[in-house]
Amino acid sequence: MEALQTVDLTKHYRSGLFKRKNIIALEKVSLSIEQGEIFGLLGPNGAGKTTFVKLLLSITHPTSGTATVLGHPLGQRALKEQCGYLPESHRYPGFLTAVDTMIFFGRLNGLEEKKLKDKAHFLLEMVGLKGWSKVKTKKFSKGMLQRLGLAQALVNNPKLLFLDEPTDGVDPIGRKEIRDLLIRLKGEGTTIFLNSHLLSEIEMICDRVAILNKGKVVRTGTISELTTQKLTYIIQLSAPVSDDLRVRLNQSNFSLDFKDTSLFVTLRDKSELNSIIDTLRASGIGIESMTQQKTSLENYFIQLMKGENER
Amino acid sequence: MRFLGMFRFTVGETIRRGTLIFYFGIATIIIILFALGIGHSTTDPDIVTIFGSPFAHISQPGANIIEFLLLQLHSLSIFWIILFGIFGVAGLIPGMLEKGTIDLFLSKPLARSELLMARALGAVSGIAINLIYFFLGIWLIFGVKLGVWHWGFLSSVVYVVYAFVCFFSVVTIVGLITRSTGFSIMLAFAFSIISWGLELRENGLYRLWDNVVYHRLLDALYYLTPQLNAMLENSSRVIGKNPFIPSPAEFTYMPYLYSFFSTSLLYGLSVWYFSRQDY
Repeated sequence: MEALQTVDLTKHYRSGLFKRKNIIALEKVSLSIEQGEIFGLLGPNGAGKTTFVKLLLSITHPTSGTATVLGHPLGQRALKEQCGYLPESHRYPGFLTAVDTMIFFGRLNGLEEKKLKDKAHFLLEMVGLKGWSKVKTKKFSKGMLQRLGLAQALVNNPKLLFLDEPTDGVDPIGRKEIRDLLIRLKGEGTTIFLNSHLLSEIEMICDRVAILNKGKVVRTGTISELTTQKLTYIIQLSAPVSDDLRVRLNQSNFSLDFKDTSLFVTLRDKSELNSIIDTLRASGIGIESMTQQKTSLENYFIQLMKGENER
Repeated sequence: MRFLGMFRFTVGETIRRGTLIFYFGIATIIIILFALGIGHSTTDPDIVTIFGSPFAHISQPGANIIEFLLLQLHSLSIFWIILFGIFGVAGLIPGMLEKGTIDLFLSKPLARSELLMARALGAVSGIAINLIYFFLGIWLIFGVKLGVWHWGFLSSVVYVVYAFVCFFSVVTIVGLITRSTGFSIMLAFAFSIISWGLELRENGLYRLWDNVVYHRLLDALYYLTPQLNAMLENSSRVIGKNPFIPSPAEFTYMPYLYSFFSTSLLYGLSVWYFSRQDY
């Protein structure tokens, strides 16, 4: 069952003097997220990632399109009762302590007063703020506020968690702790929607991602689907390639590279692979393994954005 | 529960504001000064003394000196509460709309109308707590030390709080539209002056331009906005008559009634506007 589904979700803003300028924040975004998965939304600044989440939580109203979150249409109270949200640049009242902040947001979620205090302490401990529960939030560092924000987003045991740059300002150990926490939450059945610039983190924990550029979804898929370069192979050979064979292989139109007993080949068409294998075997060279080359999500993203922006 | 949560939070935020803490401090000093200083003369119980010095006879012919004192304290309180109240609460609505705060609030299962009304009610309650503290304190001191339990003075706080509820409807809509604390403070002050000008329009603003359309426009503005000045003036009339003003006006409920409609309209418009905005 889908935790989230959007169909042609569009948001246009009016700006400038007399609001005559039309700005396209999102254009016909259709996405579907399964329950229990960690989904990452990537994109350069201004791509529309935050707007997308704001539309789902009715912080901003859509221009057109429809969406359901946990089976509820946008704007319903039941939808928000089951969601947690950590905004990108969140601000907490500085005069409240960490535990009071948790209790306040728990109240806004309609939770029972009696259970809130214990829950607040439990969540603060979970995000590594155990000794800080009675300290006013105005004394917190950015990383600590981020942890508090995460605890606040979890106060209502959400089925769907929206996190906008959750590790922003957090030290490397803290980042690892947050990643582990998200994986644990996923194991407990929570669906997690992650907006982040940190592609290495997305790569580590997300099941699927979508890439947004200029308000449009340009790619969706699993990390493996996106990072596997479909026409680039690494072929492990039983012996090094002779000079004669190198010359013959280079006469073809493939992009070839040799390193000891490894052959790196980039094809224009998958059928060309058979021709290479035939040539190698005809020369008496055995094939020990053959794998598709993978790239990092970061490299993939950069290449994709270059291509998109050149259009 | 959710409404109450936001309401309690806003009351807490309001009474922690520096300007209102200052008001609370001033109110406390005045209450203490009266508690220590006011009393009856030991030789003549009809004479009110201040720090042992005779001040006036209670039963002065043609003038009730206790009511006169209470009227002065009432006027003083209103002046300070308008001054500090604006500084204290005008920023509450724009503060709520700041990026990072509004995202959090709107992501919670709380209707925008509930959020806004809880915020407005919380702000007004913060002011009301301060006013009730001052009025109740003075009322108790006059009762205990002079034996004058002036219910009119105590009840006048209800009218002052009501006037502030109406006044805050202007602050709310201005805060929502401008999203700026500075503008909200300036426009709230401007409104308190405009309200005074509109109240006295027949002897003032009318004379600026002898034009019927202009006059009707001023009338419309007077009835479409809360009549702050008239309400505050009337709130003092439940205490008594100032012996130094010849033929003072009688108390009337009309400004409260007219302001009820204009305030409802402004709060309604605020909710409608807030519900349609993107944040």
